[in-house]
Amino acid sequence: MSRRLTIDPVTRIEGHAKVHIDIGDDGKIDAATLHVLEFRGFERFVQGMQAELMPTITTRICGTCPHAHHLVAAKCLDAMFSAPPPKAALLLRQILNCGSMIHSHAIHFFALAGPDLFIGQSSPVAKRNLIGLLEVAPDLAKKALRLRSIGQMLVEIVGGRGTHPVTAVAGGMSYALTAENRTTLKTLAAEALELAKVVLDAGKKALLKDPALLTRLPLATSDMGTVQGKVLDLYDGTLRVRKPDGTVALEFSAVDYAKHMVEEALPHSYGKQVLLKDSTGITQQYRVGPLARLNCAETTGTPLADAALAEFKATCGSPSRETVAAHWARLVELLHCAEKAVALLADDAVVSPEVRTAPGALQRRAVAHVEAPRGVLIHDYTVDANALIESANFVVATQHNIASINTSIKDAASKMLDKSDAELLDGVEFAIRCYDPCLSCSTHRVGQMPLEVSLWRGDKAVRTARR
Amino acid sequence: MAKVTVSFEWLSGCSGCELSIVDLHERLLSVLEQIDIVRLPILMDVKGYPKAALGIVTGALRTHHDVECAKKMRESCDAILAFGTCGVYGGPQGSGYAHAQSELADVAFVKNPTTSTHFVPSEGVPKLLEEGVLPLDAAIPVDLYLPGCPPHAYYVFEALKAVLGKKAPEFGEHNVCFHCDRHMKHTETKQLRRIHQGAVEKDTCFLSQGILCMGSATLDRCRGACPTRGMPCSGCTGPSEAIVLEPNRDIRTEIATRMSMMTKIPKDKITTEIEKQAKTYYAYAMASPVFRRKPTFLLRRWISQQGAAR
Repeated sequence: MSRRLTIDPVTRIEGHAKVHIDIGDDGKIDAATLHVLEFRGFERFVQGMQAELMPTITTRICGTCPHAHHLVAAKCLDAMFSAPPPKAALLLRQILNCGSMIHSHAIHFFALAGPDLFIGQSSPVAKRNLIGLLEVAPDLAKKALRLRSIGQMLVEIVGGRGTHPVTAVAGGMSYALTAENRTTLKTLAAEALELAKVVLDAGKKALLKDPALLTRLPLATSDMGTVQGKVLDLYDGTLRVRKPDGTVALEFSAVDYAKHMVEEALPHSYGKQVLLKDSTGITQQYRVGPLARLNCAETTGTPLADAALAEFKATCGSPSRETVAAHWARLVELLHCAEKAVALLADDAVVSPEVRTAPGALQRRAVAHVEAPRGVLIHDYTVDANALIESANFVVATQHNIASINTSIKDAASKMLDKSDAELLDGVEFAIRCYDPCLSCSTHRVGQMPLEVSLWRGDKAVRTARR
Repeated sequence: MAKVTVSFEWLSGCSGCELSIVDLHERLLSVLEQIDIVRLPILMDVKGYPKAALGIVTGALRTHHDVECAKKMRESCDAILAFGTCGVYGGPQGSGYAHAQSELADVAFVKNPTTSTHFVPSEGVPKLLEEGVLPLDAAIPVDLYLPGCPPHAYYVFEALKAVLGKKAPEFGEHNVCFHCDRHMKHTETKQLRRIHQGAVEKDTCFLSQGILCMGSATLDRCRGACPTRGMPCSGCTGPSEAIVLEPNRDIRTEIATRMSMMTKIPKDKITTEIEKQAKTYYAYAMASPVFRRKPTFLLRRWISQQGAAR
């Protein structure tokens, strides 16, 4: 008799979801699926809006990485209005990107994943959160909060607001950086760099404390990440796909995304999954995000992060197949973003008043991508002759990972089937959080995440684990 | 003093409101000293709906699941605060008001150009509300409202301070212009223009320059973030107090009156433009009864006339 296991809702991930696990007659897991319960309908209702509204309305797809939607929409507008941004605008957009990456990675590691690593899964559920972390490791938790605050302040100063920034426009930025603000930003970035070193070190130690932890959920898939040449780039570049054996399978521009990627709806979820497809139509799952990015790039382009990357690759493998290593990869990127922000602010061009290029000829279609904290984000717009949106398509980071999240849930649950409900729930949620899934984003379309796992044999629930 | 118990729930939204609370930065710790959070799905593993003095609900009602969650919050909390523009007015997904629900799902799942499958998910996912998107008070009585997308940390802190102290907040009901340092002046501008069409004068009101800015018709819960950074207001907090309270006042008439006084652009031309671009200018509060009840608000007709509902 087959059975089904449901986790509803899953907490400490950003969005609403539950987990279903079907168990076959042989007692083994047939399938595990994350059900995304949100649907908001952005693709449809933006039709008819003025194109220039896209950088601010699409931020509302996700409150955790609004800057990524903001920047990718602005990049689309640059192309749409034939207005390549001047250097100062590019520097400012990259600082905004670094700030937001610092905020997002810091909040994930400490508020969402940190409690698992520092408080431990054996402690009471009610203590396993940021507030519990403030009690157990107050100094570290405060440093992490400060780091997140700094990231958010960088975004606020450059982007006009911390959550839902507004200043990236067609052809550049609406607001030049003042000398005074540059000084403030430099001080903040320097502080972020020192904090990032401490945080990386603490995170690494927590991950290495239990030798079995890092290797708990291995998964060999292809990875996708953005590079300029061989160097990691979070704002712009070529999309590279690296196979599990380490060879580069493919490099392409985001404009050609529809040639290489296909979205599939799933009957039980409002989140669509994205797969890679080859010219014969054969599809395969792949991963995006911090681990995938470090697997695709050879260097980060900043010295301290490069040293951290070398240590990461030596310990976790290159390319690394360890799903749990994503937590470490996220902290290497955190260090890189702080270093990069310092470097960008050292360039005097950052305070040039020339932040915007006048618009040229209207292009009726525009596609662009950016590396969001959770991975590749693509926007694709077509407009009419008055620059009103005719159609819009969004391929969001978590969507690329959905197939792999399901594989990792299956793997985690298989190891925990004979354990207590609490251990089963923890194991499955731990697997999900490695991917830092952001479900408001991947659905950009309705939502809920507390946790119930029910085991099903056929149509009959034989066991329900809930908290 | 005993700590105030607070319970959080998020419905259809983006998590930006939750993060706006974290954006209290250092002040967050002082707030945490005064409250006891009994439920916070984004950060805590606690499930179920424990009793609390204050329930903070973010997001709009989108599915039957959202409505159930809202009701459980009402039952378990003494007072409910609708936090953010989605809960108060429906938010950006309220723009779905212009469309049948099946259309939204069709574009995302059935007729999407890069999607190989052609069905709408239906197994074990919550059913969408027939009405589209609704603000929180469509399902449960709401005691307190704090719009903003998200509200600025200043307002979040002042609002929490007031609620915890059982007083009315002192921050006032200004519109966005209150924090804007641009000068309103009479100009010879004869044409409306859009923000992407070239440079903007730094110290002059957008309306004087022929650029539609919603600031004078929008409640300030942002400290004027957009107009002070070179961007016209897009109305993300929702309508000003005057528009909420008076049935005969509307975004388009307010803006058109003000702009036509400062420029040479005729008032009816401005009103017509806002109606034609209703999807852009009513983007955040379209689903709210505040507008639907106004006798002159014919949004669905404007949109279908424009062909924008394509």
